[in-house]
Amino acid sequence: MTLSKQEFPQRLRICEILYLFMVAFSFYLLFMSRTGEARTVWEVLHPFFIPSLFVTTFLLLSILSTAEKIPYKLLFVISHSILIHSFFSIIFPAGDSSGQQMVLGRIRLVFDNAVLHGWAPWPMSLPSQVYEWFRGITFQAALSVVFARMLSVDLLWVHLSLVPVLWGAFIPIAAFLTTKALHGNANVAILSSLLISAFPSATYFGAISVSNSLGFIFFFYSLYFMLKNLHSNDSKNRILMLAFSFFSLLSHHLTGIMSLSLLLLVLTFKSYRSERKPSPITAKVTMLISFVFCSSLLPLSFIYLRFFSPATYTVPNTIFTLDKFYELPAEEIVGLFLIGELTYGFDLRTILLFIIGPAIALLWTICHLYNLKRNRNAEFSTYIFLLAAFLIALLDYRILKLFMDDLPISEERLWVFQDFLAVPFVALAIYGVISSIKAFLKAKSPPPISIASLKRFSDCSKAVSKVVVLRVVSLLFTGLLLTLNVLFPLLLASWVTTSLGAAYPQVAPLQTTWYELEAVKYIEENTTEKYVVIGDVWTTFAGEVIVGVNNPRAYYFLEFNRTGYDLFVNMKENPSPQWMLLAMNKTGTDTTVAYFIVSEPRIGTEEYNRIIQQAQQNGVQTYPGGIFYHRGEEKLRIFYYKKSIN
Amino acid sequence: MKRASRLGTLEKSVVQDKNFLYTIISYSVALAIFINLNSFQSPLFGLAASLIYFVINAVFLGNAFFEKEKAFFRAMFGILLLIMLLGFVSWLALIIYNLDATRATFVLMVVATLTSLLNRRMKQKNDLK
Repeated sequence: MTLSKQEFPQRLRICEILYLFMVAFSFYLLFMSRTGEARTVWEVLHPFFIPSLFVTTFLLLSILSTAEKIPYKLLFVISHSILIHSFFSIIFPAGDSSGQQMVLGRIRLVFDNAVLHGWAPWPMSLPSQVYEWFRGITFQAALSVVFARMLSVDLLWVHLSLVPVLWGAFIPIAAFLTTKALHGNANVAILSSLLISAFPSATYFGAISVSNSLGFIFFFYSLYFMLKNLHSNDSKNRILMLAFSFFSLLSHHLTGIMSLSLLLLVLTFKSYRSERKPSPITAKVTMLISFVFCSSLLPLSFIYLRFFSPATYTVPNTIFTLDKFYELPAEEIVGLFLIGELTYGFDLRTILLFIIGPAIALLWTICHLYNLKRNRNAEFSTYIFLLAAFLIALLDYRILKLFMDDLPISEERLWVFQDFLAVPFVALAIYGVISSIKAFLKAKSPPPISIASLKRFSDCSKAVSKVVVLRVVSLLFTGLLLTLNVLFPLLLASWVTTSLGAAYPQVAPLQTTWYELEAVKYIEENTTEKYVVIGDVWTTFAGEVIVGVNNPRAYYFLEFNRTGYDLFVNMKENPSPQWMLLAMNKTGTDTTVAYFIVSEPRIGTEEYNRIIQQAQQNGVQTYPGGIFYHRGEEKLRIFYYKKSIN
Repeated sequence: MKRASRLGTLEKSVVQDKNFLYTIISYSVALAIFINLNSFQSPLFGLAASLIYFVINAVFLGNAFFEKEKAFFRAMFGILLLIMLLGFVSWLALIIYNLDATRATFVLMVVATLTSLLNRRMKQKNDLK
């Protein structure tokens, strides 16, 4: 049954070519699913895509279990990773309607040279200015704009693909290196590089272009260099550890503070090793105090954030509180403690997909550490460090969720840290289980008996029956081993594919549609004067994609700006030139044209028709060419009013 | 095997950077990007120029910091460090003034200079070891 040396690479190459074909085919299916009007990716995903992705993942797992060179294996994992992080960028015309469009709205100002004399463009005090410089959006703006200029393409394309490509390319490598630093086995490490795609939170953040996602990438690398630094005093490692931590801070304060916490933890671990022998109790107490301090850094940072935020922002009043313990029933508190936000209305499958990874990691680490306790070596302290970091992530999430209120970000972002820290342990656990079962089967399997030896015994009838039984048992064990070799890749491929169901939302509002984008483009291409657009938040999102927000030439109000919202409500209730004139005055520049956009799917047919009728009665004209149809039905209308200059 | 050794030779040649040849190519590419941005605006040309720029400077950085790593990891780390450096210098340009076509080209020049200097300095250090 063994393959010859020539046969093996030949079969492997066929498998690799088939895998590459399946990746290309899956990308093709993803492009086929591209739509201009949808709520979720699941509504429009090609029916063959998920089966195709499953086969692709199965083939990849089969390749990973061979003796192929590590760089090739990693390149295959990278192509798979880019594929599963590109759903939003490929399917929706303007990506996911979330923070990424808000980020793009601001970056657009830099790309269109609407910002001069340094960032931030609005006047503020020095601490606020420094705060603005270190906000992740500034770094992301710089990176996206320089790439767009290098490639000479529109910012939208760079923005949509920036994180999926960077995440897809660098996160599997970071997972590989971190696991290798922990255990040293390349097969486990390569498994972890694929398994990171089975964690829904990590997959989601790898699919949206926000600064936090960039921060997660740098955080993961800072973690790898921390592990390397733990056992070496190489200055290069130290510089790289600090550099990646700095960049994770530059990308987002959440990842920056987390990197800082772990940096302090590394220092404590190093000093613990030197102090352990002369004064063991002091070393242990210092370690404990340091752990508590590192855990408290992130929650405390949210409290102090408000001192740096500009006064113009509506800064959340983040506080420590016990209100939730007084207000919520006990079972809800327990639910929040154990599974967090998943307590609220998620189905069992989704809950399982979110918690299975971290749960396996925690259980396996505790069991493994118990075994390693007797043989304390370098590996032991690496495990302890990674476990401590994992516990900090678990603890901080619970502090934020149960003991704090009015946070500037959602606590669930911390799940990505948990995922990064859990993935090496999960890979080790899975590899351990597979190896143990295989070793057990091999040990219990009787030695193989050839047909020739069977013939030798053919004269003796007693011996024949014994040999036949042995041969059947031997074949059974071989069969079991083969089944395992197929079963595990099947199970893991199912896990990775199914987890996408939890990573990409099943319920969402209508994404930015093609006609909203076309309407914004149409106005931009056909207006020579400075203009302002009144619209709902979805119009603002579309505006952000094409011209940015608060652009003095093409003015869209900020997403949650009260004035912009009030103007839209007033126009909706009574469309009249009076509100359009008021909007022109609110821009702070010599704006002479105002537009009002209404979209039928956002407000309903009845309301849409009423607005059109009332606008005509009030003398608000429809902009020539400003009616957009989708599948033969009118979907959007642009009204306009031009200020008469005497 | 032949392809691998050819890539290895190319990498060696870039790292040697005799008479600053590859640094000058980097500057020329940055200049070409500037010309493309202001006149042709061709994404294809931009892609080709960016690829050349990335290969040269990623090799510089990869060898400066990860000389002992395997070629694949050296290349990937080189690319990641180059992205970080590009982001950082662009970030500085943005907070000081802005990031229009001229300043973006200036950023590319500064990054090319830094990577070339780092490559030389680290090569000297590594040779001494």
